[in-house]
Amino acid sequence: MNGLRGYVLRRLGAGVLLLALASLLTFALLRVVPGDPTITKLGGARNIDPAALAELRHELGLDRSVVAQYLSWVGGLLQGDLGQSYFSQYAVTTLIGQRVVPTLELAGLAFVVGLVLAVPAALVSATRPRSIAARLVNAATAALMAAPPFLVGIAFVVVLSVQAGLLPARGYVPFVEDPLENLRLVAMPALTLGLAVAAPLVVLLRASLGETLRAPFIRTATGKGLQRRRVVLGHALPNALIPSLTYLGVTVGYLLGGVVVVEYVFGWPGLGSLVVDAVLKRDYAVLQSVVLLAVAIFVFVTFVTDLLYGVLDPRLRVGEGQP
Amino acid sequence: MSATVATGPALETAAAGRVGIVRRLSRRPAAVVSAVTIAVLLLLSLLATPIAGSPTAIDTREILASPSGAHWLGTDDLGRDVLARTLAGGRLTLLVAFGAMAVSMAVGTLWGFVAAAAGRAVGEGLMRAADACLAIPPILLALILVAAFGASSWTLALISGLLLAPQTARIARSALLTELRSDYRLAARAVGVSPLRTVFGELLPNASPALIAQASLTVAWAIGIEASLSFLGLGVQPPEASWGTLLQEGYAGLYRSVWLTVVPGVAIFVAILAFNTFGSQLQQALDPRQEER
Repeated sequence: MNGLRGYVLRRLGAGVLLLALASLLTFALLRVVPGDPTITKLGGARNIDPAALAELRHELGLDRSVVAQYLSWVGGLLQGDLGQSYFSQYAVTTLIGQRVVPTLELAGLAFVVGLVLAVPAALVSATRPRSIAARLVNAATAALMAAPPFLVGIAFVVVLSVQAGLLPARGYVPFVEDPLENLRLVAMPALTLGLAVAAPLVVLLRASLGETLRAPFIRTATGKGLQRRRVVLGHALPNALIPSLTYLGVTVGYLLGGVVVVEYVFGWPGLGSLVVDAVLKRDYAVLQSVVLLAVAIFVFVTFVTDLLYGVLDPRLRVGEGQP
Repeated sequence: MSATVATGPALETAAAGRVGIVRRLSRRPAAVVSAVTIAVLLLLSLLATPIAGSPTAIDTREILASPSGAHWLGTDDLGRDVLARTLAGGRLTLLVAFGAMAVSMAVGTLWGFVAAAAGRAVGEGLMRAADACLAIPPILLALILVAAFGASSWTLALISGLLLAPQTARIARSALLTELRSDYRLAARAVGVSPLRTVFGELLPNASPALIAQASLTVAWAIGIEASLSFLGLGVQPPEASWGTLLQEGYAGLYRSVWLTVVPGVAIFVAILAFNTFGSQLQQALDPRQEER
């Protein structure tokens, strides 16, 4: 038990450290560089009234020292207050609150789509490597690994929206207002992001399945007369899935990154488009908080998967045999 | 299935090893096809203007024209030749991608080599730092860097290079660790060759196939980053044109002409696929266990 507790504490410590480093890095990068978001807000012209500039800087707290700014940001963070956006009148928490539901819907659906596509694809590819289906899966996986997610999205728009006129190319309606239209609109972005998530998962699962299928216990299961189907689904698959669990963190990272560009392609009003907007306007207050939120989600997921893995694989707790 | 005795490239002599790699690569159809594609892409972008004419010349009689003898890929909404624009855009995209690759290889190789050669504590610390960088989704890090340093072709190359450096550091470290354990290195030390000469004369050349594979993959990733950021309006800035900005312009006018979106999209895809395939083929050819299958 002590081993497990130590393991949990170590992982937790590493997560908090990573988060602190990420907050410092984000903040430092955005402040060290010359240039000032307030100038952009006042129109970026040369004849800016110095008094107005000073007042605005004071209002936004930009006239304080960098250290003081950082401490007040982190202090606010801990109390759930992320400060004001530099450009709109809204608090950053309000802006994030408005955008979080569409992003969660898109990312959640994409995750499900990714899993549903990846597991059967990897099964086919690993169990019947010479079949036509497996060759198709392998080619599609290689293509999807190469194509950035937004290219796949654009291809969908070109074929399904422009040529076939089947689905709307962009837009968003909340699910509670019009469930059917919401699903019609989310279909293409979710499929796009789901494919982006599925491809690396297929590669990983295929390798892990291939390895498991050569393991002695599989020969035993086959030898005692089990059907091939039960050997693969009942014995090989569960064991092959364990290593891909560590990959969950990376998958969530893929989702967080992919969502940014995919939302832009489909005009989906989520956190991704919020962050792109913030970069274009140099709205650091919004940018730093959304990025930190993403890192926090990532750290949290990694922490949880590490825990699960620690529970499933006792070797890691003891600290030996770590790959 | 017999047990494989791992005879790594470390056991071969440097020159014979490299010749062997080329021969092994030439037996892989995917490697040959991707290498030829890369060569064609590079040639086309080098000779963009002689082949397709000026990318900015405007033909007012031909606006949004379909492919024809005069304009092989048609024209855009201002009457500019799409083929010329695509080739010129490819030149900038590839320039940015190769710039990023150079930055990534320089920073990453140094990072990885220091991590491999330094003591346990420093090496461990450097690799943990690489892990931490890899933990943050790259596009988010890229967005912060763009916000901080501004958007242009130069910063784009620098930013992508820095983003991809930690991955190179990992590869470089493991490649060098293999070489450090080899017998010839021990022999060199015994004869009294200076460490610096061993690094540049022996270790680096021997680790180079692994690094070339990594460089090819890095170019593929950098093309993807260029395209993504420029598509978002955060990369190459007009009037400069790259595949990313062409795609952005095309996508904005998608319902007028699908062609202007499809051409740069396909170009990006083919380029990434080629560099990706070549890199992973080279990696596989270097790995004797994979080679056997």
